[in-house]
Amino acid sequence: MRIADLLKFAWQVVRGYRTRTLLILLAMGIGVAAVVAVTSLGEGARLYIVNQFGSLGTNLVIVLPGRSETAGAMPGVLVGKTPRDLTLDDALALKRSHAVRHIAPLVIGAADVHVGARVRETPVLGSTAELVDIRSMEVALGRFLPEADPRQILPVCVIGAKVAAELFGAKPALGEWLRIGDRRFRVIGIMARQGESLGFNTDEIVIVPLAAAQALFNTEALFRVLVEAKSREQTLYAKADVEEFIRLRHEGERDVTVITQDAVLATFDRILRALTLAVAGIAAISLAVAGILIMNVMLIAVTQRRQEIGLLKALGATGAQIRAAFLTEAVLLSSGGAAVGLAVGQLVRYAAVQLYPAIPFQAPWWALLAAPATAVITAVLFTLAPARRAARLDPVQALSRR
Amino acid sequence: MLFPDFVRFTYASLSAHRLRTVLTALGIAVGIAAVILLTSIGEGLHRFVIAEFTQFGTNIIGVAPGRIQTHGASLGAVNTVRPLTIDDAMALRHAPYVQVSDPLVQGNADVKYTGRSRRVTLYGVGPDFAHALKMRVASGEFLPQEDPRSARAFAVLGSKVARELYGGANPLGSRIRVGGERYRVIGVMQSKGQILGFDLDDTVFIPVARALEMFNRESLVEIHVVYDPTAPVAEVEAGIKRILVARHGAEDFTVTPQQKMLDVFGTVLNAITFAVAAIGGISLVVGGVGILTILTIAVAERTSEIGLLRALGATQRRILLLFLGEAALLAAVGGVAGLLLGWAIALALRLGLPALPVHTPWSYAVLAELVAVVVGLAAGVMPARRAASLDPLEALRSE
Repeated sequence: MRIADLLKFAWQVVRGYRTRTLLILLAMGIGVAAVVAVTSLGEGARLYIVNQFGSLGTNLVIVLPGRSETAGAMPGVLVGKTPRDLTLDDALALKRSHAVRHIAPLVIGAADVHVGARVRETPVLGSTAELVDIRSMEVALGRFLPEADPRQILPVCVIGAKVAAELFGAKPALGEWLRIGDRRFRVIGIMARQGESLGFNTDEIVIVPLAAAQALFNTEALFRVLVEAKSREQTLYAKADVEEFIRLRHEGERDVTVITQDAVLATFDRILRALTLAVAGIAAISLAVAGILIMNVMLIAVTQRRQEIGLLKALGATGAQIRAAFLTEAVLLSSGGAAVGLAVGQLVRYAAVQLYPAIPFQAPWWALLAAPATAVITAVLFTLAPARRAARLDPVQALSRR
Repeated sequence: MLFPDFVRFTYASLSAHRLRTVLTALGIAVGIAAVILLTSIGEGLHRFVIAEFTQFGTNIIGVAPGRIQTHGASLGAVNTVRPLTIDDAMALRHAPYVQVSDPLVQGNADVKYTGRSRRVTLYGVGPDFAHALKMRVASGEFLPQEDPRSARAFAVLGSKVARELYGGANPLGSRIRVGGERYRVIGVMQSKGQILGFDLDDTVFIPVARALEMFNRESLVEIHVVYDPTAPVAEVEAGIKRILVARHGAEDFTVTPQQKMLDVFGTVLNAITFAVAAIGGISLVVGGVGILTILTIAVAERTSEIGLLRALGATQRRILLLFLGEAALLAAVGGVAGLLLGWAIALALRLGLPALPVHTPWSYAVLAELVAVVVGLAAGVMPARRAASLDPLEALRSE
């Protein structure tokens, strides 16, 4: 039998039992669609987080006060202060490194912001003008913190869009005065709406000059220092320089943790990839169930089509040809199911994109290949036993009805 | 048709095609096994997390400065213009139902002993800390009961710190340097292990006032309040708020009962378990499609038999019930097999990976079996209706 004949033969069978074919397509389709849909959700979440991290800035090196000896502890767990503060002078010293382009020291805390009789507790961030270069933040109105000596206490602030709306209502906020704790600040800029990014909402914060925040919270200690390396290759040099500079400034004591954006990103990336793979594996169990169904249906078909098989064999068809006929049928059914599944999976992806436009849902290429491939391979594997049974039928007995 | 006959008939039609029955039930079994296994892991994880938290006791309320919460932590704990003080903590002892109120400040410092040094998490705490969080002292004693505002320079070491700095020697009575200041070691804690990636043995405890001074800060990070376990939480919470508002003039703090945190964790973990179980449940749906397919084929094969039954006086309802019963039985058998399979894998996991918490509650097993039967019934509806609506004359003639 030629391949064309095989295909035609299988096609006739597939068309002949229409309900059965539809149901098998349904079963295979559900399996493939599940894998495609689930992986596109997982991949979407991964890309979303990676993008969010990218939007924090590029080639970032982050300096945290304190260090833990226990390996594997999340750096974020390190809260609290150290006996020897990480100071503004430490941060400024980092600028001497050749690998460093910008630095932005950060002091963060919660404070009451007053405008007239309105009070609101908001996160207050103390930093320098360079923060806007490091983090891709946009000022909607006015300007960001002025370039000045970071040790100087300037009574100016930049506020988030939501803070502006809640404290000033419809009135223009630019140029107005507000009170934070016991100090007065003039609003010189309003941030553009950016929304939540990794639990840090720029719409809801007030940014003041670093020295002002230090005075406000009565502390010398910096919360973090953001360092931007000159290029991606330079991040490792920047990290080494930061560690060395601060060790020297702290009398040989290694009391800071330095992490690179790339390292954190790589960790997240690995975790989310593994999760997507695990979930895809769970969804793929349904493909095995669909395979069992194909085996079952094929076994029934072998019994039902005894006479036909007997006739074929009597006409000279070999066992191998009978096997090939059944396997072709299985491939046709499963690839049909896979096509249906891919289409439905893409529909689900499309629906998800409509619901959450912010998250870039898309099935990873490996899932688009692996899902149909698994479907076809399972189908063929599960058809091997029925096909062999058909091939072994004795033509005489098969033709002599029971 | 009598009920025993009904059962016998269904059984006969299933056992006539043994391989077919086994394969169809296997489809359902794989689905049920997947769901049971995934929910077992989810439930095990849930219990694990709850156990991790409740080992500190459940009747704890945390009070943190500021009202802004990010990532479950209070931003005010970093820096705030409205500090929580040791006096606040002492005042909270007078709140109704409160047994213990203990101030806490946390930081990172290095500890030195005869040339060896180690960076540890430093806790500045009051004398009741160990009691409040149900932590035990292995040797020596915890910080003594004295005025927390002017406590003596005593330190208690976590088990890992003691091991790393002293090796096998007895640390009690020796002097160490914590963040450059001298302290006398008066106790070593029992090992607590890691809690959610946080090593509680790599710690040193010193009096809270000294820690505040060392870190040059005014505000505590948190106050732990332990209340009478029989007291209503809402009243305890209200009492705490009343006292602190009276002291501060406004509600500039966050009160978080341990129970609320557990509830949040529970909700999140349940949602994840449900989502993963639902993905596993897709296999169950495919198994249902399997039952549908096989029954559709069976109705076509047994047309003449159905015709005969109808001619003998079986009502349409009876035929419908027969096929539905067959579908339900197939699914039920598959469900039981799936339960056994799921349990076996869960058991193997427990033996092979003792670190992975696995727990299968009875209610899940019963629920899974019910779901299997429902899937079977739903799959059986279409073929059963087709069988029931066959015209007896036509059906008999089909052979």
